[in-house]
Parts: sequence; C-alpha cells; structure tokens
Amino acid sequence: MRWLLATYSPLIVRSLVYMLQATEYNIGSYLSWFHRTRDFSKVIQRKSLVYTQKAMLLVLIGVAVYLTTILIAVLIALKGGFAIIIGAALIVLLPVIIAYVIIIPLIIGQYAIQRPKEKRMLEVAQAQLRKQHCRKIAIAGSYGKTTFKETLATILSETLHVAASPGNMNTPIGLANFIQKLDGSEDVLIFEFGEERVGDVKRLCELTHPNMGVITGISEAHLSSFKSIEAITSTILELRDYLKSYDVYKNGENEFITAAIPASDHHLYSEEGVNGWKVSKVATSIEGTSFVATKHNKAIWAHTSLIGRHQVGPLVACIDIADKLGLSVTDIAEGIKKTKPFEHRMQPYKLLGATIIDDTYNGNLKGMAAGIDVLKSAKANRKIYVTPGLVEQGNLKEVNHVKIGHMIADSDIDEVVLMNNSVTQYITRGMKENGYKGHTRIVDEPLEFYTNLSQYVASGDVVLLQNDWSDNYA
Amino acid sequence: MKTVAVFFGGRSAEHDVSIITALSSVIKPLELTGKYKVAPVYITKDGRWYMHDKLKDIKQYQGSGIEKLLASIKPVIVDFDGGFSLLQPTRFGQKRVKVDIAFPAMHGTFGEDGSLMGILDMANVPYVGCDLQSSVVAMDKILSKAVAKEAGLPTVQDVTFSASEYRENSSSMLDRIEQELSFPAFVKPPHLGSSVGVMKVVDRASLAEAIDTALHYDNKVLVEKAVANLREATLPIMGYGDTVIPALLEEPLFNTDEFFDFDTKYLRGGKGGKKGGGKVGAKQGAQGYSNVPANFPEKLYAEVQSIAVAGFKAAGCCGIARVDILIDETANRIYFNEINPLPGSLYAHNWAKAGYSNVALVEKLIEFALARFDERQRLITTFDTSFLKQF
Repeated sequence: MRWLLATYSPLIVRSLVYMLQATEYNIGSYLSWFHRTRDFSKVIQRKSLVYTQKAMLLVLIGVAVYLTTILIAVLIALKGGFAIIIGAALIVLLPVIIAYVIIIPLIIGQYAIQRPKEKRMLEVAQAQLRKQHCRKIAIAGSYGKTTFKETLATILSETLHVAASPGNMNTPIGLANFIQKLDGSEDVLIFEFGEERVGDVKRLCELTHPNMGVITGISEAHLSSFKSIEAITSTILELRDYLKSYDVYKNGENEFITAAIPASDHHLYSEEGVNGWKVSKVATSIEGTSFVATKHNKAIWAHTSLIGRHQVGPLVACIDIADKLGLSVTDIAEGIKKTKPFEHRMQPYKLLGATIIDDTYNGNLKGMAAGIDVLKSAKANRKIYVTPGLVEQGNLKEVNHVKIGHMIADSDIDEVVLMNNSVTQYITRGMKENGYKGHTRIVDEPLEFYTNLSQYVASGDVVLLQNDWSDNYA
Repeated sequence: MKTVAVFFGGRSAEHDVSIITALSSVIKPLELTGKYKVAPVYITKDGRWYMHDKLKDIKQYQGSGIEKLLASIKPVIVDFDGGFSLLQPTRFGQKRVKVDIAFPAMHGTFGEDGSLMGILDMANVPYVGCDLQSSVVAMDKILSKAVAKEAGLPTVQDVTFSASEYRENSSSMLDRIEQELSFPAFVKPPHLGSSVGVMKVVDRASLAEAIDTALHYDNKVLVEKAVANLREATLPIMGYGDTVIPALLEEPLFNTDEFFDFDTKYLRGGKGGKKGGGKVGAKQGAQGYSNVPANFPEKLYAEVQSIAVAGFKAAGCCGIARVDILIDETANRIYFNEINPLPGSLYAHNWAKAGYSNVALVEKLIEFALARFDERQRLITTFDTSFLKQF
C-alpha cells in the first residue's frame, strides 16, 4: 500500500527531483537509479530535498505533468471501448512519464544556459591562473587525494601561504570557483583532481597548469563509467604525461602504478621512503602514527594522529615536497604534528567508551584493506567492522567483494555488520571461504543502524565504519 | 522471525520507571538485533493489558496521548493455547500474536515479584530474567536476607514483624526495636523496590511514623540498624546455571546525611540532584551519580563482588539481577543488603562499561531465557497413574 502510494501519488515528483539533486543533475546516474528502483517509498533517507530555484521549477513541472497526464488519461478513457485501455496504460506509466519529462527542461537548460556559463567561468579561471606564478601542485588518483591534499597543506602552511581546493570540489567548475576566490598572493596552490571519464585529468591540467604533481593511487573506483582499469590508469597518468619534466610523486605501494612506472623512479613513495628519505621506527595505533625520516644530515621525528601504516608513504612524500620548498626539519615536524584525520576518513571518536573509526568516505578496495589492517592490529574488547560494500565496481563487483570477505575473515574481527544490498552475498561468501568464525549481523535499514550505533557498542570496542552508500546507490 | 512480547507498566508504584526500562533498554535494542519482532504489552495502573506499536513511543506517555490512544484500542485477550498468544481486537475480528519469548520489563508489584512469571510458567513460554521462585525471594527483603544468612553471608542486624503483630502491641514492638537496634535505623516495606516507602529514622517518634507509612505499602515491615561509615555498592549480574557474569561494581555517591530514596533516584537525577551535579568525575547512571567501576581497593572490590555473586546464586537468580551491598568502611565489614531481580533500565549504563552493548545485553538475556526453557522442558512434571481408577 505504501509502495503504491509513493509511486502513484504526487509525492513521486519530490522523490524524482530529490534524486536529480542527489546525483548533481547527472542524467545518466539519475536514469540508472530510476530503472533500478522498485520501491519509491524509501528514496529520501539520508538527506532532504533542498528547494533551490532549480528544484522548485522541476517540482512545478513534475506536478503539472502529473495532473496533465491524469487529465488526458481520463478524457481518453471517457471515450469508452479500447480507449479505456489506453487511458489505463497512461495511468500505469505515469511515474515513467514524469521521470522522463522533467529531464527535458534540464537538458535544454544545460545546453542553452549552463554550459556557456561554465565555459566562460573556465576561461576566466584559466586566465587568472596564468598570471599567478607560484607553485601549483595537482593531486590525482582513485583514492587518498583529499587526505594527501589536506596533509600537504597543513605542513606547508607552517611557513608558506597555501591555498587548497576545498572539500571534494575536484571538477572543472569546482576548481574554477576556487580559483576565482584566490587573491594572487599565495605561495602554493594545491588542486585536487577528480576523474570520471578518460581525458578528465588532462582537461584539469589545462585549466590549472600545475608544475608539480602527486598520484595517490589507482583502483577500480568509477569502474562503471571507465569500463576498464586500463582506462582508469591511463586517465590518472595523464597528470604524469602533462607534467613531463616536473616532479610527479607516485604511490609506490600501488600495484597499478608500479606496473606502469619503472622502479628506478625516485619519486615513487612508500613507507620505506622517497627521493633519498629513509623511513624507520614506524609505530601505529588507533591513537596515531609515528616514524623517523632521515636524509643525509637531516632527521625528522614525525608524529601524527592520522591512523594506519598506509599514511607513512604519503607523509614522507609531503616531507620531500616541503623540504624542496624550503621548510626546515623543525617546521616540517611541527606541521606533521598538526595533521589530523579528516572528516569521515579514518576519523576516530569516542562513543560510550568505544572507539569508532569513521571511514565512511572510503570507497575503494585499497582503502578498505588499509582500514581493515588498522582494525586487525587494534587492541579491543570487540573488533566490529561495518560496511555496505563498494559501489561502481563494474565487472569486478563480485571479485572485489569476495576479496573484502577474505580480508574480514583473515583479520580477527569479532562482529561484522553488513548492510543488506546487492553485494552482501559476495562479502559473506568471501568470509565463509576463508573460515570467518565471528558473528555476522545483516542490517536492512542502514540509517536505523547508524543512528542507533550507541545501542550496538560498549566500552573497549573498536568499531570501523567503512563507506556509506548515498540514496542513489541504496 | 520470533516474536518477543515486552511487558511493562503494571499495577506498581514503579509503573513509570518500568516504561523507561522497556522503551530505552529493551524494546529498541531488541528491534535493533534484527532477529525479533517486538510486541509491546503495556499494563495500565488498573491492570488492563494493551498491545499497539504506538506504545513503543515515549511521547505517548508524556502528555494526554496515552489516554487517547488507549481509548481508541481495546485491551488484549490472553489465550493459553498450548503456548501463549495475545489477541488484539480489531474492526474485523482479532489479530493473534503468538508470543515466542516474553521479556518482563516490570518493576515492583505484580510484575517483578513473580506474579507475571507465574502466568508465563503456566503458559509454558520462555521468558527473560529471574523465574517465579527467585523473583519471590528477591522481592521480599526479609526472605532474601534469610536466604543470604542461610548461605553464610553477612547481613545487617534487623527486626521484622507483620502488620497484625505491630497492631496488636505497637508499643512493645517499638521498645524491642529500640533495645535491639540503636538509632539511626531504616524502616522498609519488604516487597517494594526503588526505595519506595523506605525511611531513615532517628528516634522513637520518627520510627513510629515510618512504620505507619511502611504499612501503607506492605503488610510486613523490616527495620534495619543503619550501617555506620557507610559506603554502598551495587553489582548487576547476569547468568544462568554455571555461567555467572558480573558487570562492574558501582558505587552510588551521596552525602552521609542523605538517603537514596525514590525521589533522589528517579526524579532529581541522582544524589545531590542534577543541580548539585554530583561528585567531580562521577557519571550519572540510571539511578543518579555513581562511580563505575567503584573506586575500591582491589581486595575490598574482590570481597564485595564475591558476596554479591554469592547472594545472586543463593537466591537462585537467573537472567539478570542486581545485588546491593553495604560497607562499614571503618570497621571493614561488608553486608549483603538486597536483590533487585530487574534492575532499572537493566543497568545498561554499567553493562556498556563492562563491555556489553545494549543490543548484546538483550541478546544474551534471551539466550539465557531459551537455555532455561529448554532445560525445563526436559523435566518430568506429569506422569500417568492409576490413581483415578480407584474412584
């Protein structure tokens, strides 16, 4: 009954516009969600529809289409005979009609208004940057970009005037907005590059003209749109190709990068070191990470509240960049001390005496492995692992989730909480294959679980929350 | 999915406390297990039983909502159908809810005292917590002290009497109390929990007044000598059979001239009240400010825990209970005080510190309930005889 009401009442319009907003008006993602969804009563869960002018307009159009379609269906049906069937068919197809008709003005708007406006914005940003002669560092990769960007900005800010693109604003328009806000006095600009299609990184290079680069890692993120890992690799390596003779730091702990880059490249960073820096005395716990980095007569005792051994490689790359930009070892050590976990990325907090590690922005297999590794080494009353799995894994969906199941089974985890969805079966299969002996809880309502987390935890527990599916994936 | 019926409210002075226990510490965690369907069974102060999903919402009880809701639905009918079913009258007939497991979340009379357990035993349905026999012992402060004494546990010196004994010759009873116990003393109605009707007395006049008050609540009275240099401790325990799991020893905090009565426990937010703020560093638990774990020397902690566990076992408790202990700090004497067969809110705050989440706690309690039920099913309670043939 609730399902029927949500599908055929005017409320469907709100759900459709909400999803357009949630997918950032990406028509492909929106239509893919629409055809996958069977129950429209549970669409708006994590957020709510923000009534912007655009959203208001779409709601009005949707309601108009709703009423017009019903009116037409009734008028046709009144003719009797076969017309009744046509009228009934129109009513049955009502949600489909609205779903498609509301995107027509959106498409027209995109071509007639938005794209020309965005083109002008990009030209202005490009011209502005050309005038600014400073260090411009671009960060690309399937994962770890935001943490690297924030870490580097924190360290360099010890002595330099640094501006970094905020949050996840890593599209051309996002970066153009950021550029327009610069005052031109910055010593260092740090840009995070997002990628969803082949050529995206090259386009961002042409917008920002970087003179230093970092490639944080390559994984199967966005595999659904790229179709192959080769396409992802070549797209991310567009940064290396663009920068040619400039320094490009690459994650030497990533197999896709090491397969594409010769081992002799002294900008390959890892927990061993980079570019002459040697790392030793690595210690990590849920309180933080520490290590010593030495190069010639320089030594840095690094302490950070960032969690996990996988943080050491990026940190030593940051040390080398900071060294190159003239920071003293004391400044670098002070800067590292100020780095801290970023929101929803291996971010620990306390709840009823339990330690919760919020890694809900983690959306790739490598990151999942790093998080599980931290949980494995943690000292805890109970180790609890919570995940819905990964999205956009394309044809590796099954393989990667079975791998996650294997990792869970091999990590002494006491309780696993899985959100019931299309990948749950693969994770549980992996757990079974590797003989998982702990307790498994499968949750139908993820939001209910997260909002009642305090009911599930007790003092001494360590709980790792990895990834969270937004409404368009749920 | 199995249905767990949670019983709360009831004909008890602790009616409202029971609502909080059920809604905060039982129903929500049970639902979050994802294993059980929860049927909330609310028993009104006049003893009518209602079952409705809206009864899971605390807002219903905070205004006139509950009266309106109850006026719109009919009380349930209990059906002993070889098990235990609740029939909810609807517009089109009756909706039958077969109860697979019962979870009493009731405090005080007609619930925690064994009454409900008797009904559940008759229906042969598994239920959580202390059984009929241990509930009866635990809820009678006189009986539980007798059981503890029999088990060799130290108890505070007392005088006990019935209403009729007192009325026959109140003056001589007061004399006896004055002779055997010195002031200050505590007067307690032996069957009530949450310190309802308990009064501290300092002279003959206040003693007589307190006994009169206690006799409004009960037909027996327990008068105990007050423990000097008092420190209190309480220990939530769960278990069944050989498995006994103590939580953390908890020390309620108070000023020496204060007494931990119902008002202090539930209405003012603990000893010293919310305004008082309690001792620095202490946490506010279900019953106010307390130290969890109690800040006792290691040896004292171990001794107190040992006496509490022995009290739990002596009374035959199973499922969950909380044992209260009194300590004369100067004389270094420890006394078994009483047992609470269903601690308020299950003492979930303490269990969480001891490593049991709310969800894990209710799961464990259901596990114990099912184990006890299985064991009881194996007992022979009936057999064929030729007895009737002789008539």
